[in-house]
Amino acid sequence: MSLRALWIITHEKGEHVSVRFSRRFPTVEYRAKSLAGTSYQAVPEDSTVLKLLLTELGLADPDKPYVAQRDDCLNQQRTPALELHVDSSAKGILWPVLSISRGPLILACLPLVEAGEPRPPLSSLLSVSQGLTLLEGLQNVLCGSGIKTDGDGLASRLALMPSVLQQVCPLGTPLDVPQVGAPSTAGVPAAGGSQRQPAWRTGQHRGRAVVSVALTETVRCMQYGNPSKQDLWDVYGTVTCKCEVEGVLPSVTVTLALPANGSPLQDILAHPCVTSLDSSILNASSVDDGDGSAFSGPYKFPFCPPLEPFKLCSYTSQVPVPPILGSFQLKQEEEHQLRVCVSLKLHESVKNTFDYCEARLPFFNRDQMSSVEVKVSSGHLDVNKEKNLLVWVLGQKFPKSREVTMEGGIRFSGPLPGPVDPLCADLTAYVKLYFKVPDLTLSGCSVDQHSVQVYSCAKPKILTCRELQSKEYFIWNSTAPAPVSSGRMML
Amino acid sequence: MAVSWVERIASFLRSPSQFLSSTTAEVFLVELLREQRDDRVTYDVKLIMLSPLCEHPMLLCPSACVGEETSLELMSVFSHCPAKHAEFRCQLLLTLTTVLVSTCCVSTHSHASRDFLELLLQLVQDTSYDPHGDVPSALRSTRAAACECLRELEACSPGLLSPHLELLNGLRQQENPRHHQALSGLYAVVLRNGVHLLARQTGAGPESLKALLGGNAVVAWDAEPDSAALINRDAPLPSVLVPVGAAPTFQTGPECKELRSVLSSLLEESYLLTPLSQAALLHALIEIVAMVSGVSPAIFKAQLLRLLGTSKVCLFHATLLMKAAFTDSLFSAEDEAFVLKRLVALCQHPLMSTAAKLFYTDCLLHFPENRPIGGADGEEALPVLLTPRLAAALVPTVFNDPATMLARLNVAALVYLEEEEGEEHGKEEDVRGGAGGGPTYLWDHLKLLLHVAEQGGDRGGVVTFFRVAFLFLCHFSHVERYAADLRRRLCGLYLRHTRLAPHILNLADRAQDGPVEPGWAVALLRSLQGAVVTAGASLSGVSLPDLHWHLRVLARVAEEGQISQGSTVDFLFAVTSTASRNGDWRLGSDALAVCRHLLAHPGLDALLCPLADVLQHMACHHGDTDIQDHARLYYTLLTTLSQEKLGGVLSGGATKEGRQDKKRSLTSIVAESQDLTSALTVHKARTPVFQLVAQDRLGGLSGSTGTRDDDSAGTGPGVPDADVLSSYRSQLCGSSTASEISLSYELRYLDASGPGFDQLFSIRLHFEPSDGRYAELSDVCVPRLFRERATPPSSPPPPPTVTLTLSPRAPYPGTLRCSAVFTTQDELTWHSALPDVHVAFRQMFKPLPVPASWGPAVQLRAFEQLWDEFCSSEESGGGEDPSPDRASSLFCSQLGEAALEALVEKHFAPYRVADPCDEVGHKVLLFLPPRSHMLLKISPQEDAVQFNMATDNWRLLPHVNDFLRTVTGWETQNGVDS
Repeated sequence: MSLRALWIITHEKGEHVSVRFSRRFPTVEYRAKSLAGTSYQAVPEDSTVLKLLLTELGLADPDKPYVAQRDDCLNQQRTPALELHVDSSAKGILWPVLSISRGPLILACLPLVEAGEPRPPLSSLLSVSQGLTLLEGLQNVLCGSGIKTDGDGLASRLALMPSVLQQVCPLGTPLDVPQVGAPSTAGVPAAGGSQRQPAWRTGQHRGRAVVSVALTETVRCMQYGNPSKQDLWDVYGTVTCKCEVEGVLPSVTVTLALPANGSPLQDILAHPCVTSLDSSILNASSVDDGDGSAFSGPYKFPFCPPLEPFKLCSYTSQVPVPPILGSFQLKQEEEHQLRVCVSLKLHESVKNTFDYCEARLPFFNRDQMSSVEVKVSSGHLDVNKEKNLLVWVLGQKFPKSREVTMEGGIRFSGPLPGPVDPLCADLTAYVKLYFKVPDLTLSGCSVDQHSVQVYSCAKPKILTCRELQSKEYFIWNSTAPAPVSSGRMML
Repeated sequence: MAVSWVERIASFLRSPSQFLSSTTAEVFLVELLREQRDDRVTYDVKLIMLSPLCEHPMLLCPSACVGEETSLELMSVFSHCPAKHAEFRCQLLLTLTTVLVSTCCVSTHSHASRDFLELLLQLVQDTSYDPHGDVPSALRSTRAAACECLRELEACSPGLLSPHLELLNGLRQQENPRHHQALSGLYAVVLRNGVHLLARQTGAGPESLKALLGGNAVVAWDAEPDSAALINRDAPLPSVLVPVGAAPTFQTGPECKELRSVLSSLLEESYLLTPLSQAALLHALIEIVAMVSGVSPAIFKAQLLRLLGTSKVCLFHATLLMKAAFTDSLFSAEDEAFVLKRLVALCQHPLMSTAAKLFYTDCLLHFPENRPIGGADGEEALPVLLTPRLAAALVPTVFNDPATMLARLNVAALVYLEEEEGEEHGKEEDVRGGAGGGPTYLWDHLKLLLHVAEQGGDRGGVVTFFRVAFLFLCHFSHVERYAADLRRRLCGLYLRHTRLAPHILNLADRAQDGPVEPGWAVALLRSLQGAVVTAGASLSGVSLPDLHWHLRVLARVAEEGQISQGSTVDFLFAVTSTASRNGDWRLGSDALAVCRHLLAHPGLDALLCPLADVLQHMACHHGDTDIQDHARLYYTLLTTLSQEKLGGVLSGGATKEGRQDKKRSLTSIVAESQDLTSALTVHKARTPVFQLVAQDRLGGLSGSTGTRDDDSAGTGPGVPDADVLSSYRSQLCGSSTASEISLSYELRYLDASGPGFDQLFSIRLHFEPSDGRYAELSDVCVPRLFRERATPPSSPPPPPTVTLTLSPRAPYPGTLRCSAVFTTQDELTWHSALPDVHVAFRQMFKPLPVPASWGPAVQLRAFEQLWDEFCSSEESGGGEDPSPDRASSLFCSQLGEAALEALVEKHFAPYRVADPCDEVGHKVLLFLPPRSHMLLKISPQEDAVQFNMATDNWRLLPHVNDFLRTVTGWETQNGVDS
């Protein structure tokens, strides 16, 4: 349940690679040596680890087309645990090296295997899931809020690592994940009363009691416009809470409700601060939709809130129709000239008020656009600076008819070649939708302000909100082959 | 200064070995500890300065003794550090734990570790916490750190805290917030270790358990530190939840109320812990219940729903471990189906990270079933309840990242294989789905990836395609329609992108070695041959790079005896006879590589004439002389040797490992094959083959020791007058050899070296001073080394001698890393490491480097003057102080007169300075290159011998001390004559 070492690496597409931070835990190493016996392999210096790790991740020697060690088809990396071959003998292996990466950041650690030979299955080692949890926690702190990790921000966050690790993983045994941001109202140290305070609630709130509950649903979609390919979409929701309430162990209950004919919430996952769960809540699963469980709420989540904002729970849901139905046809007219035709229809059940809504048409494997003669029935068109992306800004509303169209011709005879994407060969292309609708969920799920119960002396102010947003919402060109997203349809 | 320390620490952590090449571990440690005591250094910097000890304790404290001293030092720093520097105090505790554990002080129960344990227990019990005071948080975190340290000590030395179990339980129950977690975790680990040790003991019963919980367990920690049982017991305990061997169990009968109530209270409050600590706590409790027969797993029941609904990987994982440990005694069949469904949902949950999903997928293939069918531990297997319907959620898509795609493909393939088998039994009851809906989907998926590769996908995409293809083949190569179609498509892919040849050949090699239908790889190679030959029909249209790859592919194809090579030879003829490319060496070499494989092909008889034509044509008409020559050689071999002999000549490199015993034929040099690679690569010997052994007992003392070295002083001035020292110093500056020492070694075989290394040639020894104490050494060449045979030859040749000339940069002992490159009898070149050569302190000694013309009297004068200078207390006025690091010291030893004489004779004879006035005592002058002196006045007193020392380098004192301790102790113990 401990880690032998931990590394934080940055790179730019396999170049300018460096170990920005590393930490070894010699007491865990001492245990590793004793437990592994003759199969023990010491952790080499950072530079060696870096080289081996990049080879395993396929990032070493980016300029060489084929490197046997890196590209061998026998290397089937199907688990998050890598093997680093420190020397050529069968014994000189570091395993299981866990590695996760986001953007330019690679985090890796080596969990302790509390057994000797033969090698136990990964799933029997708690240190693996603990290592993953810690790495993800560190990643969240290092990346900050945005996906982009700018140099300076990252450097200053890296500088905090020694003291962060002293708190969360002092001797190689992870105790907690670091908090992304300090709670906005600093907690007051708890008085040593008789009541136990949770380790994840590091103080007490003083001041006005406010509970805010935000419900965000995300819809993903693949539309093919092709009778032989079934369109796919899914919806998942997360409930984020921020509870500023007094007390050492305050108790709050949030209830999610569905409309009368709503389909049940599936795959519910709850934050560990939730004190109890009813089995009926957990029963519905997206992986077998055939069960007859008619439970459709209300879904009660009693919990003792941490001081900082947190994800109370998440769920998936199956909704009968996607919010925007689209069709996309792209045809070759003559060399370098394409005819494009897009139509989008907003489903009648969806509120026609957007925070934003736009459709993006990227073009790959072609030269830049030289002329765009396209008409839209609503909104306006932009072409990006690189001249390879058409942005159709639909604004806050669809017209009354709830239908919009785009039609016209585009010439690709610009001076520079555009970006390359092997998936989008020839006429294979897509429109990607970006939208956000306030005060709406597709599942119909909602949090009623009056259903939020707080057991504390002061009556808190309760805020609730909900919204729908898109993610990976694709409409494929129906005149060309499109990559199939999931095979669920064939059964 | 602070900044420079921060930088120095950073550079140490970046690469300790590189850092220590410019200083030594001892010096660095001394410096680090000195700074800890310096009040001018801020605690922030002191904190950073603990990290070398915290991360690499074994480098800085190589022995238990150094670890012990360092710990005592750090503990005194701790006692002087004000409580407000909580972060520093915590780090100090962590560092102490690290040093004591790593240097085995804890496992040997040294004094420092006992003191430290006491300190930690005190800190943990310190309840003088005032909620309204100024420093509550600081004090609290020191206490939390102390808990952590105790937990780690217990983990490294199980049973260490068993006697304190009751105390810890009391603390755990009275404690408030933040410590509750630390104390619960600590308590659980101590309890788990205690139970584990009891379970291993024979004859432990309910009473032992009671005693353990009451803190009265018999623990030898205090009783007998050296008892064998203790040493044996002190190793960290493996997890009982890992399915390797049977877990120890412990029969307690139903009477273990105390334990049950302790476990219940820990479980009840477990939700107050952070997920990571909670998972660790659960793990320890699962282990305990798994080992104690008297506690029912049902104790976990109340926690299950909460844990199964969690979004945290580690908590759900702990639940799976619970399921693996208790199977149907905690989970009903219905529960099992529910857990599996949940696991499948988690494998593809949109809010899970990729790594978590991969981990869950791995858990799925090792799902802890209540009644597992397959008995094999650790093998991937599908849970029986995983129906194709459930698994449909896990089919791979092109939008997956490579690892997820492979993981899902693997699961899907396993599912569909089972389905297929089921269908075979069910005689295609469902015609529509019976066409192998699953495999067809996977096949379509593979085709899509192939399409991406064909469209010029990036390197990652190509590599993923080939990995997926290999995985697909492992499962479905028996389905001829896929196998054949894949071969066809791979040929198409190759023709479109010949640069993918290495990938395709790699796939063929792996398929041939791996669990793929035999014959598939050969069939692929045959198709490739056909594709190449057809494509090359009109050679003018084939680009040079394409041609290069074609020949590479054909060379691989020619390795297969089952494939007829007629068309290959025709192709070769066409290539070699194309005038436009006739002068290209590389192309010629590629063609010769094919020819070489063809010469070894079993179907050579049929190829004889056309191949001879090809070779003859190349020999006569190729534009490159080198190619011509080799073609001629091949031609001669082909036309003059029988096939068996030819096979014998050529099979030289055919052995896979390129091992010894095969004479390498020169014919291979041009053919780019394994042969050439093994002949041209330097092979790495796994173990050292030979070693350097110091030539004499003292460790290689030679040449320069016995006599005053005339050259060493160069052409110095004649006998100096009054100011001996300045003339000595001036001639020392002019002399280069004075600062060198030369050591002689013999090169000898190590017993373990293998039989292939009986005769070695052209040995080139390379030395690397490991810690930068010596200047770079030039390589040393030894012409040969033969192993002495058991049969007594007339006179075996003496082992070769190697003389090393070292130029020390500092007068301390050190280590030389050695490696050697040499050639074996079979003409392979090897690289091997040698055992390190340690240069002992005594090997650094030299007599005073003065010209022979300086008589003993002058030397005595020099000695006296140096002595006075080193012992003088005041700074020499005005100019530069010639010996700023001077110091004097005294060493005493109980030695008899005879023993002393023998000691001096044996160890100091070459360095004695004769003093006619002093009959009883001895004066010894040790010169230590580059320019340090150690002066000894040895005088026997009534009951002891005094070694008065004076030096211009105080850092030498510990070394001299060690040396004197060794020689005097050794002498007294072993007697003078031994």
